[in-house]
Amino acid sequence: MLAKVWFGLLVAGIIAGLVTVYQIYATGFTVYAKTDVLVWTLPLASYIFFSLTSSGLAFVSSLPMVFGLKRYEILEKRILFLEISVLVAAFICLILHLGSPLNVIWLLLSPNLASPLWWLAMLYGLYLVALLATFAGVYSGKASRILGLLVLLIAVGTSTGLGWLMGMTNARPTLDASFLILFFPLTAFACGMATILLFGLISSWVRGKEISQEQASLYDEISKWFGVLIAFITVGFIWRTIIGSFSSSAVEFAAFRHMLTLPLFQAEFWLGLVAPLVLVAIPAVRASQAGKVVVAGLFLVGMLIGRLEFILSAEMIPFGPLAVGRPEFVSYFPTIWEVLVPLSALSAMLLLYSLGERFLNLEGTPEHG
Amino acid sequence: MPKYAMVIDLQRCTGCGACSIACRNENNVSEGIYWSGNINETVGTFPHVRYHYIPTLCNHCEEAPCVRGCPTNAMYKKKNGITMHDPDKCIGCRFCMFNCPYGVISFNWKASHKFWRNQTPLIKGCTSSPAAEVKAVGGTGTPYYNPARAETLEGIRRKGVVEKCTFCDHLVQKGQLPHCVVACPSDARIFGDLENEKSKVRRLLGKFRPFRLKERLGTMPKVYYIRDFNPAAYQRDKGGV
Repeated sequence: MLAKVWFGLLVAGIIAGLVTVYQIYATGFTVYAKTDVLVWTLPLASYIFFSLTSSGLAFVSSLPMVFGLKRYEILEKRILFLEISVLVAAFICLILHLGSPLNVIWLLLSPNLASPLWWLAMLYGLYLVALLATFAGVYSGKASRILGLLVLLIAVGTSTGLGWLMGMTNARPTLDASFLILFFPLTAFACGMATILLFGLISSWVRGKEISQEQASLYDEISKWFGVLIAFITVGFIWRTIIGSFSSSAVEFAAFRHMLTLPLFQAEFWLGLVAPLVLVAIPAVRASQAGKVVVAGLFLVGMLIGRLEFILSAEMIPFGPLAVGRPEFVSYFPTIWEVLVPLSALSAMLLLYSLGERFLNLEGTPEHG
Repeated sequence: MPKYAMVIDLQRCTGCGACSIACRNENNVSEGIYWSGNINETVGTFPHVRYHYIPTLCNHCEEAPCVRGCPTNAMYKKKNGITMHDPDKCIGCRFCMFNCPYGVISFNWKASHKFWRNQTPLIKGCTSSPAAEVKAVGGTGTPYYNPARAETLEGIRRKGVVEKCTFCDHLVQKGQLPHCVVACPSDARIFGDLENEKSKVRRLLGKFRPFRLKERLGTMPKVYYIRDFNPAAYQRDKGGV
């Protein structure tokens, strides 16, 4: 019965996404809270969140496949399948962001090698194919280290490439390329770890089976490294805040200083970074399964908020002719249709993952050929 | 090969907006979209205040960030320096808008000229509907549709793609001036070939000290501004402490 409700909810989420598609194509992108000032909003932030999480999962999956940490093999199938599911969610968000998604054929017919977007599009296409091949190999007991390495390299390329994409906008100096090409992979890695903790532990609860001692010790290990990563991310985040709020005098940073006063920034910092960091530092919380799930969940929610905060802090100050008739800072509150974008993508991801849990043995250790 | 540029004389510009209206008519620009706009600001404290007005349009940058970032080359440079856009290749990612330092690229968030698609008469049995009006005069999308625009670009751009000023490339290729230049009643807009030493734009750029918007970014805009209009006077002295 519970399973039927669960799958029903997920299908409802996907239907909501299809209704959003209909709304976009019947009414237009005016169903989103977008303007010529706020050209990138929640749908793109969701895409960045899911795509970086997928890259982070690739970093974790490379531990057994590339770096030979055999004890992680027990998680390999689940991680790879999660990567595929999360990547599908990222694609859904991207499609619902693009104005003319059918024109993407021109990425192949008319490539611009100077554009980070072109490289990202190519890498993501290759990523999905490589992931499917890697999963098929692992599932059939013929894991390929070469494919594992390829997935890792692509994940490095996509997570750093997003930093290049954002950072090449000279008109928006709050998005600093040299910061983002490190910050994005670092947060991606942490998101990957959080996803593993969240899905691994909740899956075992749903199955009603105790996790093995071997798995439990792996989750403990991941939890520790996850805590270390959150600490590094928090330090980077604080430096970004100091530079953006006190050190820089560039006019464009006014938007960032304005962002500091908004709930979005506060939620990202306190809910997404400080709270998980404090919790993960408590040994009892770190050791408990529920504690791990709460920490991972908080961090992932904080990161989704954070991806939106990063984009908006570069956009909120209108410039040039766009400033005429507008306030000094524009405000943003997503419409229901924008909220449905990440929700429907999450539904699709969860549906795919649930089907994987049900029909593919994601728990078993792969046999290496 | 000519390299086109525009000089805007701020002393001559009265801020009448004729350039914007002419642009809309020539290029079938939809409501909510501005190929030709302005930056304006009021500075000072009453009674010592001034209103500043700077007309804006695509700067047709030599090092155009929109062109560099476009993944499909939908935004591209013509040999004559004009930055063009091909809606057929545009995926609607809006990176060009995010990347443009000047805020002069617009996105078609909805179907263009929505008003003229309305089939409901304003007064039933008395007036016609906007859509009937378009049909009656044989227009495409609007009653005042300009078919010449479609010679080099979609006459009316579709939903889900960006659009921007093209220096009226369809007129320039026929040896005519951009329509905003023609329409300017005070001849504040001067258009020409930067490569030609005898062109008016070259002479003006040598005669005055021009400035370009956000020059520090290295985008090398091809819209130059000269002079300024300021009739204010003040009593000559050395101030005080």
